[in-house]
Amino acid sequence: MKFILLVLLYFLILEAKEPISPIPLEVDYDLKKALLGKKLFFDAMLSRDYSVSCFSCHDINEHGGADPRKVSIGFKHHKGNIQSPTVLNARYNFVQFWNGRAKDLLEQANGPLTNPNEHNMDKKTIEMRINNSSFYKKEFKKVYHVSYIYYKLVLKAIVEFEKALTTPNSRFDKYLRGEIKLTDSEEKGYKLFKHYGCITCHNGINIGSNSYQKMGTFIDYDTKSNYPDRSVVTKKEFDKNVFKVPTLRNITQTAPYFHDASATTLKEAINSMSQHNLGMIISDKDADYIISFLKSLDGEKPKILEINEAF
Amino acid sequence: MKLSKLLITFILAGIISLISIIYFYSIQRDFTQQHRNFILSINNLENSYADTTNLVLKNSLYIYINQDDIALANKKLEKNYLKVKNSKILSDKNYIDIKKQIESLGEDLKISKENIELFLRINASIKNSLLFLSRHIDNSNILYKYDKKELLRARIILKHFNDVKKLQDLAYIKKEDYLLSSNSTNKDVQNYIKSFNLHSSFLVKEYPFFFKITKKIVDCDVNHHKIETIKHEFSKKAMHDFNALDKFAFILVSIFLISFATIITLLIKYKNENHKLLDTYSSLEYSLTYDQLTNLFNRRKFELDIKDFKNPTLLLININDFKYINDIYGNSIGNLLLKELTKFIKNEMEFFDKTSLYRLGGDEFGVIFNDINIERALAIATKLEKYISKHTFKINNIEIEITVSIAVNNIKPILENADLTLKQIKKSNNINISIYEESLHLKQNVKENMRIVQLIKEALQDDRIVPFFQPIINLQTSKIEKYESLVRLKLKDGTFLPPFKFLDIAQKSSQYDEITKTMIEKTIKVAKKYPQYRFSINMAMTDISNKKITNILFETLQKYQDSNTILDIELLESEHLTDMQMVKAFIKKVHSYNSKVLIDDFGTGYSNFSYFSDLDIDIVKIDGSIVKEITTHKKKFHMLKSIKNFANGMNMKTVSEFVENREIAITLKNIGAIYAQGYYFSAPLEQPLDDDNVTI
Repeated sequence: MKFILLVLLYFLILEAKEPISPIPLEVDYDLKKALLGKKLFFDAMLSRDYSVSCFSCHDINEHGGADPRKVSIGFKHHKGNIQSPTVLNARYNFVQFWNGRAKDLLEQANGPLTNPNEHNMDKKTIEMRINNSSFYKKEFKKVYHVSYIYYKLVLKAIVEFEKALTTPNSRFDKYLRGEIKLTDSEEKGYKLFKHYGCITCHNGINIGSNSYQKMGTFIDYDTKSNYPDRSVVTKKEFDKNVFKVPTLRNITQTAPYFHDASATTLKEAINSMSQHNLGMIISDKDADYIISFLKSLDGEKPKILEINEAF
Repeated sequence: MKLSKLLITFILAGIISLISIIYFYSIQRDFTQQHRNFILSINNLENSYADTTNLVLKNSLYIYINQDDIALANKKLEKNYLKVKNSKILSDKNYIDIKKQIESLGEDLKISKENIELFLRINASIKNSLLFLSRHIDNSNILYKYDKKELLRARIILKHFNDVKKLQDLAYIKKEDYLLSSNSTNKDVQNYIKSFNLHSSFLVKEYPFFFKITKKIVDCDVNHHKIETIKHEFSKKAMHDFNALDKFAFILVSIFLISFATIITLLIKYKNENHKLLDTYSSLEYSLTYDQLTNLFNRRKFELDIKDFKNPTLLLININDFKYINDIYGNSIGNLLLKELTKFIKNEMEFFDKTSLYRLGGDEFGVIFNDINIERALAIATKLEKYISKHTFKINNIEIEITVSIAVNNIKPILENADLTLKQIKKSNNINISIYEESLHLKQNVKENMRIVQLIKEALQDDRIVPFFQPIINLQTSKIEKYESLVRLKLKDGTFLPPFKFLDIAQKSSQYDEITKTMIEKTIKVAKKYPQYRFSINMAMTDISNKKITNILFETLQKYQDSNTILDIELLESEHLTDMQMVKAFIKKVHSYNSKVLIDDFGTGYSNFSYFSDLDIDIVKIDGSIVKEITTHKKKFHMLKSIKNFANGMNMKTVSEFVENREIAITLKNIGAIYAQGYYFSAPLEQPLDDDNVTI
């Protein structure tokens, strides 16, 4: 009996490799297309009043691809209904948006563009604007060899750019690859991260973003609010307050936290999460350890941000 | 139906069935491909479904797990499902049931996916709570210190929770049994218990739902079963389709094979008929090129072949008097003889290369030699002629001996020239073989004849037909008594053409009458000038039946009746003995003008003594061929004497022609012959001599 248990344990250990995997150093994307997508990403022409671009709410330079504001401000200063999640490493999200209503980046890109509160555009207008632009005409001709630019191609170019938005080489990734050792506090933080069960939901390449979870499994979380949660998609009561588990990569840069931006600091976020979803109170000391682990998840800025021309 | 129509019909059927087979093959291939694709994608679906459930299982087993795998597996499952759903084969209305089943499977998979998501969600919390509880118990120093009993309970509760999870049976947890409570007033103890109870309450609250979801997922193995069912039904249906396709293929291939076999059969039949046609054609061709009797090439073939020979030499062989053989023995024997002769000639010619034997006419054979000199050809002909004449042909026990004439020729036109030569041979009595030579002028004769016809025509126009006169001498008195008028054609250069050069030709044309008329008129004019002499002109027996000539003659005689002129008629015998009565009447009429009748050239040719009994002949002219030789051949002398005696006995006088020397003249005089003429005395003259004295 003991023997069997030992064997079982052995297998469990074997299988129990780290539940977090590093971001690959090289990712596949078409540089020319991505650079064209980059232009579009920064172009406010894609909003009806030329006021916002993708970049407006996904600050890939300063804020880890997210919006530092509680909610994003879009067309005619309309406010968004949820905190903008990061666009970085979005290619690794199992679904897009907080409630997973888009199955991939292509579906996602269409959302904000046509949202009346955001870009407030429509397919026709975008096609008209892009095709009227001699610059885009030329660029699309060069990259996609087309004379007429369809809306979908615009989305595809943006998606290609988003695919390039990965942040490899975080300290933790390097640690996973066995290149460096974590600092004591980082290591302690990671252990606690596992120990407290954070890792149950925050795992995988994106340390999250691979499952849905309910906000407030132990203690109900703000049941009165009306955020577009999973139930909006599934129309099921038990999906109330269920969201896609957000990524923790570059988490130090993407404050405020949660769908409702209710946490402005990581400590607040940890406290909130541990109470509502883990049913415990994490001590300040442990929270600090966890924060130092979370800091090790900051990766390098995407290379494409430095590249402007394809060679 | 005609054979060709039938053939076309079956060829069409064959082609159509072949096209159908090809078309059908492509359909079948397409179907097979679709079938395979469907099976492949449904297998993939099954696999990815298994993967998903496997990962779910793994997820429930491990505490720390990378959930990326399950997210990916879910995506893959969805993709694979779409592939199955969009399988081309499902657009076939035969597969509408399968399609429906797949659609319903899609609903199930959607539910299953939701269940999995829910399961993962709850499982995460449950895992965390169980983890929390076990960790909580690990850090139970405080409880150990104040309430050991509750610690023990805590351990039991945790064990129960773990068991319940494994057993999926809530019965292990009784009401209120999962909460700790302590009478200790220690704040930490109470906090500890509060935390424990939070999680144990959570588990108690979540477990039923968790079990329900777990059961649902486990039950979702129904999906597995469903996929199996779909596969099974699909296979059954596809098998049915394949069988139908097989049957159809069998029918098509059968049609094709039947058509093919029929085409082959028809072609064979067609070929046979064609063969028959060819046989007919070749026998026709044979009869066109071959002689039916002798199986030799025929004249037509000869005419075709002769053009192909570069240097041909022809032996033209003709059976002498074959007509008589037919007359005597009958045509059938004649035909057999021809066959035998063919065999004989063939045998003889066997030794020579490059020879071709032809039957050119009834009794005429031709042998062509290529590249052979004429002497050799002549030698071959001579030998052949000799062998044939020595050979006795035995036909139906009849022994027949024949002779042949062979004309040898290598000068074009081959057959015509050989023909001419052969005619030449036939004319002569003693030659059987001859070579055509241009020196023979056989060919030129025709041209010469034409020239002479033209000469006569011109001479008549220019009045150049003139009489010459040869004196007839009375040997006993040495006086000229008569002149024979002989026709001459005076040429433009003043020379004269003797009758043998033109008279034969003239005789065959209308000019002859004109010449005779001229001769009669001119002779009688001369005769009038010389009343001391008698004159004679020549007439052929045939002329007697020519009314035109006799009219001219008698009109002339009538005209000069009172002028003391005498014109005698010399009749030339011919093989065509004309109507005796007519001749008699003619002679009688001649006599009525005091003219005499002479028989010319007696003693040769068709000399017939019966003339003398039937006809009132006055004078017989003894042919030169006898007279010429009376001094050298005794027999001729006796012949002459006999004719003279016979004539005298019949009260006729004789004229001896061709007296060429004095010896003959003396001999004639000595035997008492009265008249003679010939070059010894005088050649024919333009004018009669005034002096009638002759020296013998």
